[in-house]
Amino acid sequence: MNARLDSFSYDDDIVRKFLWAAMIWGLVGFLIGLIIAIQLPWPGFNAAPYLTFGRLRPLHTNAVIFAFAGNAFFCGAYYSTQRLLKTRMWSDALSKFHFWGWQAIIVAAAITLPLGLTQSKEYAELEWPIDIAIAVVWVAFAVNYFVTLTKRRERHIYVAIWFYIASIITVALLHIFNNLSVPAGPFKSYSIYAGVQDAFMQWWYGHNAVAFFLTTPFLGLMYYFMPKAADRPVFSYRLSILHFWSLVFLYIWAGPHHLHYTALPDWASTLGMLFSVMLWMPSWGGMVNGLLTLRGAWHKVTEDPILKFFVVAVTAYGMSTFEGPMLSIKSVNALAHYTDWIIAHVHTGALGWNGFLTFGMVYWLAPRLFQTEIYSKKLVNLHFWLATFGILLYVVAIYSAGATQGLMWRAFDETGRLQYPDFVETVIRLIPMYWVRVVGGTLYITGMLLALYNLYKTWAARPAAYEVPVVQAAPLNPVYVDDHAPEAGGLWARFTHMGWHRRWEGMPLFFSVMTAVAVIVASLFEIIPTFLIKSNVPTIASVKPYTPLELAGRNIYQREGCFNCHSQMVRPLTYETERYGDYSKPGESVYEHPFLWGSRRIGPDLAREGGKYPDLWHVRHMKNPREVTQKSIMPAYPHLETNVIDFPAIQKSVDAMAMIGVPYGDAVNTAPAMAKAQAEQLAASIEAAGGPKGLADKEIVALTAYLQRLGRDLKNATAGTAQQAAPAAAAPTAATAPAGPAGSR
Amino acid sequence: MRLSDIMGAANLSGYAEVAMVLFLAAFVVIVLAIFAPGRKRTYDAASRMPLDDEHPQTPR
Repeated sequence: MNARLDSFSYDDDIVRKFLWAAMIWGLVGFLIGLIIAIQLPWPGFNAAPYLTFGRLRPLHTNAVIFAFAGNAFFCGAYYSTQRLLKTRMWSDALSKFHFWGWQAIIVAAAITLPLGLTQSKEYAELEWPIDIAIAVVWVAFAVNYFVTLTKRRERHIYVAIWFYIASIITVALLHIFNNLSVPAGPFKSYSIYAGVQDAFMQWWYGHNAVAFFLTTPFLGLMYYFMPKAADRPVFSYRLSILHFWSLVFLYIWAGPHHLHYTALPDWASTLGMLFSVMLWMPSWGGMVNGLLTLRGAWHKVTEDPILKFFVVAVTAYGMSTFEGPMLSIKSVNALAHYTDWIIAHVHTGALGWNGFLTFGMVYWLAPRLFQTEIYSKKLVNLHFWLATFGILLYVVAIYSAGATQGLMWRAFDETGRLQYPDFVETVIRLIPMYWVRVVGGTLYITGMLLALYNLYKTWAARPAAYEVPVVQAAPLNPVYVDDHAPEAGGLWARFTHMGWHRRWEGMPLFFSVMTAVAVIVASLFEIIPTFLIKSNVPTIASVKPYTPLELAGRNIYQREGCFNCHSQMVRPLTYETERYGDYSKPGESVYEHPFLWGSRRIGPDLAREGGKYPDLWHVRHMKNPREVTQKSIMPAYPHLETNVIDFPAIQKSVDAMAMIGVPYGDAVNTAPAMAKAQAEQLAASIEAAGGPKGLADKEIVALTAYLQRLGRDLKNATAGTAQQAAPAAAAPTAATAPAGPAGSR
Repeated sequence: MRLSDIMGAANLSGYAEVAMVLFLAAFVVIVLAIFAPGRKRTYDAASRMPLDDEHPQTPR
């Protein structure tokens, strides 16, 4: 035992930086959310080309997840890690690099997404150069973090740190493997996976972005800041051990519940459902642990707005983690999938759990970081009530919107026909609820503005120079002393004694490895069969790659973010095949890099769009949707009629696709010429039908070619281009798989 | 002969049930271990870590 004490100080400067970043980007993310909330009931609020719903919606999700929640996580992690480990972060330079790098990435996202530069995978929209930057910054953060762990002066790492470790490791894995792509230009790339596999990887990533970016980091914050605010230790440390390991192991499996009834094989979606239902328990373990931390302190909640924020945050967490498993049950999902119900679900989580936990944490940190009293406790209270009512209005309106639309889609009348055959009927019905959402969102944002004002006034009252307290702590004893030595006993006694876990807590790097093993093993259990079982994707002979012009049209479809409102995945459900036609087969997506199945239908599904309408209909529809569909809420895209197709770039796209195994044959040499020939043919037919002249080199032709191709390969073996096909009834073709959902048993 | 052919011919689907039983067994064992009585002192000390982080401690 040495009695020598080290003297050191904590780096609070980085915490202050991240605090401001979180709050300012939070406001930006919420405002973009408000803009797209207004765009839905009022399509005139779209400003093509840069500020349409399709381009802003990814900006909103990225801003809220990575800019607001991300910075909030870093803020709390830098504060609590140093104190829990009794050491300063290993490298101030790396901390600063992490901060500025992350902000630069956010700025890059704010510029590129409205420009239409997107990989079109949800929450992974950012293009490949930014993806590389994210990886670099994340690794810098990780290195700084793990070296800090080795320099700690506290033997055992507390549960909050376990959650941070799990987040850092898993986010890196998810980000790297989902974003593997082949570039086709400085800001264009194609996912190396296609169709079913791409969908699987995307939702393995997408669901675990929720798990390891919005859940585990914030659980870590909860385990540190809630006991601090309540001045009570966490309810049950035993429960937190169970909570941590089950959450980390189970969450990874749940991704396929985003793909129920799609072309994903049955076994995968059943597995995803089972693990999602199991996930309910560890999640509620976390909720119970959070709420019961306040046992004996409930009287404080009435006086302390910070605790109010925490209580509502944990309650919202409990509600969304009950709802998640419920929504993952296939029969419930059949109703909720593609509707606003899912939007309401994520907002319970994002506004309630991430938002309120961040606010509570920020209000708790502000007086400590700015070394003065909080400017106004009244404003904190007001913020709490405004935001709470904002959330209530939001979710009540959007839950009812989701249920309404889901029920309208599946309603049959007494003659056995669809009761609402016209898709737009099911949209118009939601408009009043969309306006209620706007009100709710405005309340929430008003609260955010109050928070920023309050923080600014607090900051303004800071001392001339921050006091930097010198902390003293003994260095780590080089010899591990087990304060937990088991009494004599056999193997079982030693195991149940949990000394092994206690040891792990004293060996953070080993602990990190075990966490990585848990998430990697769980991932591989699903990934290996998905990629290696042939029967997952039965081949369909008539499915051919897109022509060069159609590929260019698909690029435009991605650029405009059409996939945010239009799915391309007909589920094998009666009301669905009745409305759209034959259900989608796994073999149809084999050349879809990336897949564009979509996850929300604000407009109808497009998987069977080819040949449904004449070419001219599409031209008019893109120019002004309300010309052909009264009361449509789709944005107008007039610029597609004036933008010239970038023919040389088509070659790059075709080459990139060929590189990842799409059999393009001759097109790898003559793509632009082939595209021009098809475009001229299509433009001539549009003109002949009485449409505008001179469209042969305009983007609208490429997009029309793409839309007219969708679903055609299944109907006829000849890859149709511009020929007018009568809308075919959903007749089974020789190519269809055996009846029943695309399963593989 | 691709890897997927080999995997398809290997008939590995039975292993899913085996894995499930193993997972469940491991889970039950760990739950028993965590909630076995005793060692309250250690757990209490661990759960106090965030509250005691203001005061430097004796060597550990």
